Amino acid sequence: MTTHSYEQLARDFREGHIDRRELMKRATALGMSATALGWILIHGHVPATLAAQEGTPAATVSDRLMTVSSEQASTWTRNFNPLLPEGSSNRWPTIDGIYERLFIYTQINAEIVPWLATEWSFNEDNTVLTFKTRENVLWSDGTPFTANDVAYTFNIFMENEAIPGNGGAVIAPFLESIEATDDTTVVFTFLQPYTIGLYDIGGQMIVPQHIFSEAGDLVTFTNENPVATGPFTEVVRFEPQIWELHRNPNYWQEGKPHFQGLHIPAYPTNDAVNLATINGENDWAANFIPDIEQTYVAQDPEHFHYWFPATGADVHLYLNTTVAPFDNVDVRKAISMAINRDQIVEIAMYGYTHPADTTGLSDAFETIKDEEAANAGWATYDVDAANEMLDAAGLAMDGDVRVMEDGTPLEFELNVVSGWSDWVQACEIMSQNLSDIGMRVTVQPYEQATWQTNVQNGDFTMSIGWSSQGATVFNFYRGVMSSTTWREIGESAGENWHRFQLEETDTLLDQFAATSDPAEQQAIAVELQRLYAEHAPAIPLFPGPQWGQYNTMRFEGFPNEENPYALLSTYSDEALLVLNTVTAKE
Amino acid sequence: MNFILRRLGFYALAAWVSITLNFFLPRMMPGDPGDAVMARMQGRVQPETIDAMRKAYGLSDDPLWQQYFDYLGNLMRGEFGIAISAFPTPVTDIIRTSFFWTLLLGLTATIVAFLIGNLLGIIGAWRRGGLVDSVMPPLLIFVGSFPYFWLALLALFFMGFEWGWFPLRHAYSSNISPSWSLEFVGSVAYHLVLPAASLVVVAIGGWVLGMRNTMISTLSEDYVMMAEAKGLPQRRVMFNYAARNALLPNLTAFGMQLGFILGGALLTEVVFSYPGLGYQLLGAVRNLDYPLMQGIFLIITFSVLGANLVMDLLYVRLDPRVRGA
Amino acid sequence: MSSTISTVESAGPTGDELVQQEHSRAGRIFRSGLLGLILANRKATIGASILLIFILVGAFAPAIAPYDPDEFVARPHQAPSLDHWFGTTGSGEDVFSQTVWGTRISLGTGLIVGVAVTVIGALVGMTAGYFRGRIDDVLSLVTNVFLIIPSLPLLVVLAAFLPAGFWTIVLVLTVTSWAYGARVLRSQTLSLREKDYVSSAVVSGESSFRIIFAEILPNMLSIVVAGMFGAVTYAIGAQAGLEFLGLGNPSSTSWGTNLYWAQNNAGLLTGAWWTFVPAGLCIAFVAFSMSMINYAIDEVTNPRLRSQRDTNTLLRTSNRKLGKSRATPVLRPTSGD
Repeated sequence: MTTHSYEQLARDFREGHIDRRELMKRATALGMSATALGWILIHGHVPATLAAQEGTPAATVSDRLMTVSSEQASTWTRNFNPLLPEGSSNRWPTIDGIYERLFIYTQINAEIVPWLATEWSFNEDNTVLTFKTRENVLWSDGTPFTANDVAYTFNIFMENEAIPGNGGAVIAPFLESIEATDDTTVVFTFLQPYTIGLYDIGGQMIVPQHIFSEAGDLVTFTNENPVATGPFTEVVRFEPQIWELHRNPNYWQEGKPHFQGLHIPAYPTNDAVNLATINGENDWAANFIPDIEQTYVAQDPEHFHYWFPATGADVHLYLNTTVAPFDNVDVRKAISMAINRDQIVEIAMYGYTHPADTTGLSDAFETIKDEEAANAGWATYDVDAANEMLDAAGLAMDGDVRVMEDGTPLEFELNVVSGWSDWVQACEIMSQNLSDIGMRVTVQPYEQATWQTNVQNGDFTMSIGWSSQGATVFNFYRGVMSSTTWREIGESAGENWHRFQLEETDTLLDQFAATSDPAEQQAIAVELQRLYAEHAPAIPLFPGPQWGQYNTMRFEGFPNEENPYALLSTYSDEALLVLNTVTAKE
Repeated sequence: MNFILRRLGFYALAAWVSITLNFFLPRMMPGDPGDAVMARMQGRVQPETIDAMRKAYGLSDDPLWQQYFDYLGNLMRGEFGIAISAFPTPVTDIIRTSFFWTLLLGLTATIVAFLIGNLLGIIGAWRRGGLVDSVMPPLLIFVGSFPYFWLALLALFFMGFEWGWFPLRHAYSSNISPSWSLEFVGSVAYHLVLPAASLVVVAIGGWVLGMRNTMISTLSEDYVMMAEAKGLPQRRVMFNYAARNALLPNLTAFGMQLGFILGGALLTEVVFSYPGLGYQLLGAVRNLDYPLMQGIFLIITFSVLGANLVMDLLYVRLDPRVRGA
Repeated sequence: MSSTISTVESAGPTGDELVQQEHSRAGRIFRSGLLGLILANRKATIGASILLIFILVGAFAPAIAPYDPDEFVARPHQAPSLDHWFGTTGSGEDVFSQTVWGTRISLGTGLIVGVAVTVIGALVGMTAGYFRGRIDDVLSLVTNVFLIIPSLPLLVVLAAFLPAGFWTIVLVLTVTSWAYGARVLRSQTLSLREKDYVSSAVVSGESSFRIIFAEILPNMLSIVVAGMFGAVTYAIGAQAGLEFLGLGNPSSTSWGTNLYWAQNNAGLLTGAWWTFVPAGLCIAFVAFSMSMINYAIDEVTNPRLRSQRDTNTLLRTSNRKLGKSRATPVLRPTSGD
């Protein structure tokens, strides 16, 4: 008898299709040992060791389930719709786990890994992008995957602007048509050259035409039993506090994934996740853990590990540049120099990251950073210099606070989200730092939605916040200093909350998007960095650490500093590489 | 009958006020569910995607008053709408899964606290100055003075995490699926111990004191003296004569208490990751999930009203005077 | 207030029945002086002393606290030592200083809410009870509606939707908790209004305002005061709960935010129990002191309860124990009433 039939039996029992008596009867018929039967009765699945002994295991695949925590919820709701953005209401890993994309861009190595597409190229004037799709890929129901599925997927966004996707809705306005010219070729025709759209196309999960074209309203489609190309597709158990996702029987990568499936408990809060992680229950999690060496690693140094590469977008202090004196570049730079980034990084961020430089770019762009732009000096802690700059800007001291020429004292509120304790702490440190240069800054916490609305509408003077980050520097500089993202005060701006635009940026970004030549793009990227360093549109604080913890008690092969094949964060695009690499330990 | 009708009228009014408050309050706050998703994703989702998401949510642009009347109409038809934070799951689905656990936790804690508290109160009053009477009240007042979530946190950390006596989360073990097996019921009970105990410990003092005080008053009533004089067994006098009558005011309070069960254990549920309504409400508030928020609020309000109505009906039975009023 | 406490903190009996007993006697005792009560009753003495200590700590926080509560003074999570009596927080602030400063906001919120709730409750309840008729109908309706709206969820919703800060919490707690006191005071007023001295005041043409505040109010002062202490306890606990959930202003210093930070800095997981314990103990001590005072008021109000120590004394002097088979006798005071 095979492992599979044992597992099938266990599953039937677990899901209540058969009762205890029936289980025993069938188990005897299959010749299962009493030990294995007992195990199934208690745990609801076949034990790895017993399965290996009694069955004929399929290659090296382990029966083990990996316990993962990625999203937080008090109860799970069943939704595997890959056309919703990650983390909205579809379950992890609908994106990059159940469904897959054409290629994966790894932030950590700045590399592109071909996935459902094997190769692609732009035409001469960068208006047509042609993809070759991978052959011999099957959907989990056995239907072959073809270029038609890809064309179908992107045409969904052309027809319905209420479908968000993960890149689909972003790229659709730039496209004229998407067409599958044969079973392995898809042609994207752009309205105008927009080469960085490649990454938006690469970000979109590809869905099966034969399922989704019959699914009705694709926005409210919950896709309870997903048919997909990813390594894990079989939802064998779904309860409000726990669910299990098992391997795809038809996965196109031979022998992968190396273990049976994922076991995903509902943890409602950070604290609940961390408690489970520290207790050794989670094999893989991606969470902020305070003082991690002490709280986590010290509990079991042999098995408990973490890796927080600082490749996430720079966290910034945004100054509303429509408000005096923040319209003055010297004032912005002075404020930046008065901030003790080392203190913020050490105290608020537990040393998990490092101070930002004057390019505003994180470690993900280490290789393309311009030396000169990165060392413009205004991100270096120097209170005396900052005071001199403010004196020069005509902001004189009046007692212990500076005043503007019309006599208004420099008193501001610094907005932050009340629940994000690391940022609240960073804001408190900044508030103290800024009092050294005669600014009175009060930290004002808001609930997340209110905070978001305020910054978007420009209804703030100072706020901490994230920045945009894409595969290239394009997204960041477009978000922080271009007219594309600039909006009037009172109008909602998804980026560029501080309201800053430069004509030079627009020109450079247009050039950037019009070329597909990496060398040319790099030259423009340097220009953009220098522009940012000159104007200090916003104040970079520190690159965002990418959270990730793993436990090598049961599984091994997670990425880390020595073996950085992908980010360790479950929520990153690269999580799929991790799922396909990790193996169960003997 | 008249009395009941008047009460029903009042409950309808109270329900309406509550529903209305809950409709307008969240909407007075700036922002929409799209902003909440954006904030939650901390920049990992592009703004254009969120714009599409807003369209997908189908948030209405109608004037607020019109949305309000639509909402009332939908409620009349029993339609609670779709939970935006768990889009597109119906609100009723989410409430259904959480309702049971909150009810179980709240009922267990309230009943256990009521029983133990009153028993201690009876004994305390019966043996004035005895061990129970002199040690219990100040001790229980002191324990009851602690914030209940603080006790819960310590209990979870020590008894759950450090010593491993109790589970760290959830309403039942993740190794088993819900069924009416002994194993499952046992697991549920086991998971219930710490959350319920942390509620009971702080609640018990109030019952003890209340019962003790009324009991002391009752003990001097003539019929208790009479019973004693007749030489009835002590136990009988204590429970059948004195305690039985002293219990009445506490029963009223118990009835009131039942109504507040659904909304009461929010922090406990958060600390113990208990899958109840309280945490759902907090999540709904954070994510500006209006429909879910309204649905949960409505369920809680109705349970309070329901408990009050039952008390009213009981009152009518017990006290004939109100019938004429 | 108690009705709302009971939703969260205690499931104790809160019926009007208990407080309604023997109100007028208590009123007279009260008029003879709160100080007298405090000194005469051991429980009240304990309660009042604890409360007084906390009030003093709050008032003189700048003088008592060795450090600024937001100042980073040492390495994070240092155990208690001579330099830092209660150790340091996860970000290196002095826990003792934070606890001392936290007294201000926590106790301040409690006291302000307590007074506000009592004043609103008294105004609404007494007006309704005194004037009766239409006014009573309307005010009672409003009161009852507020009573029936589940306060904890409303609290969470309100706290989330108003800008975080001290006055938001005060407002939210007051709005959700005044109704219980109003109901109790209304029924008190209703019954007191029938007393002879009120009738004679009405006949002698005194103004309603004067009758309510000079004749009726003093006679139910015990209930008013008890209600106020209850509200203070409730407010301090509820504030801590809201702040712990992150619905307060985490950048201010109060016992609730201290717990919020202790939790967010993994105080328990790193073994830094000293970040958790002080705030929890302070809340408990304040609540305990209020309960003791209320306990004492109960004893004064209800002479049967008060007689306990007399009984004990009697037993001791007569050198015999009450048989186990005997219900406790109740000594009625012989003097006065």
